[in-house]
Amino acid sequence: MKSRWHQYRNSIGWLYILLLLNIITSCTQKKTPKMYIVEIKQMQFQPADLTVQDGDTVAWINHDMVPHDITEEKSKSWTSGPLLPNKSWSMPVTKSADYYCSIHVVMKGRITVQ
Amino acid sequence: MKIKFFANWAAHTIIGAAILSMPAFAQQSPQLSDAEIASVAVTANQIDINNANIAKQKTRNEEVLKFAQTMATDHKAVIDQAVALVTKLGVTPKDNAISKKLLADAAQTEKALHSKNGDAFNKAYIDNEVTYHQAVINVVENVLIPQAQNKQLKELLQSVAPVLHSHLEHAQMIQKQIVK
Repeated sequence: MKSRWHQYRNSIGWLYILLLLNIITSCTQKKTPKMYIVEIKQMQFQPADLTVQDGDTVAWINHDMVPHDITEEKSKSWTSGPLLPNKSWSMPVTKSADYYCSIHVVMKGRITVQ
Repeated sequence: MKIKFFANWAAHTIIGAAILSMPAFAQQSPQLSDAEIASVAVTANQIDINNANIAKQKTRNEEVLKFAQTMATDHKAVIDQAVALVTKLGVTPKDNAISKKLLADAAQTEKALHSKNGDAFNKAYIDNEVTYHQAVINVVENVLIPQAQNKQLKELLQSVAPVLHSHLEHAQMIQKQIVK
């Protein structure tokens, strides 16, 4: 009877330890970064507004027949350079930004980092 | 002063009248074959490349220069796609009333652009880009797309339309800046 109680108590103990480890791991581990796609087609960024988490990656794919670029609008702090048709460019995102195509300045988009 | 004003007015009238007659062309809707549609598409794009090349030589305005470079690159890309398609389809572009009118009007426009310099040139070039793109959009959307028989040719023209709209919006933006 005593041995059964011991076994039961040990099992509960291990269960608590596993649960504790799980909580610690999930608190210390960062979420796996996600990849988002922005399609460039019909002279538009689609979607034009995108919300991501800090560290996620955004990839732009040019489906148009003309070259485009993706350039941070306010201070030109980053740019893809010319992106030829059927080519893509990606970057990890850490800050919200308004961006545009500096070749076709009427094309605009926004990334919001939550 | 009066002479200068009249010269400017006359030049704008020539450019405007030549180009603005295009919507009337669209309304008459001459029936075009795919070979004739291909000819109109290539001619219309080549004319804008020629105008861009004049602008690249004459302008000192950074925005106008960048716009002209974009026009040359984009319209060349459209021509390359059109040529690749007609080659694949075995179609030879054929001259027609619209392509001939485009060329006749373009000759007058080029002459008017060559006669101007400085701010007057920038204004004339951008004003023409606005009216020219409006006219070409009208022809593409109301004549070429509805009349194209081949599915791939129709799809190519449909994909060109947003490019033209973007150019028009860009030209109108520069036009407002120049007026300031």
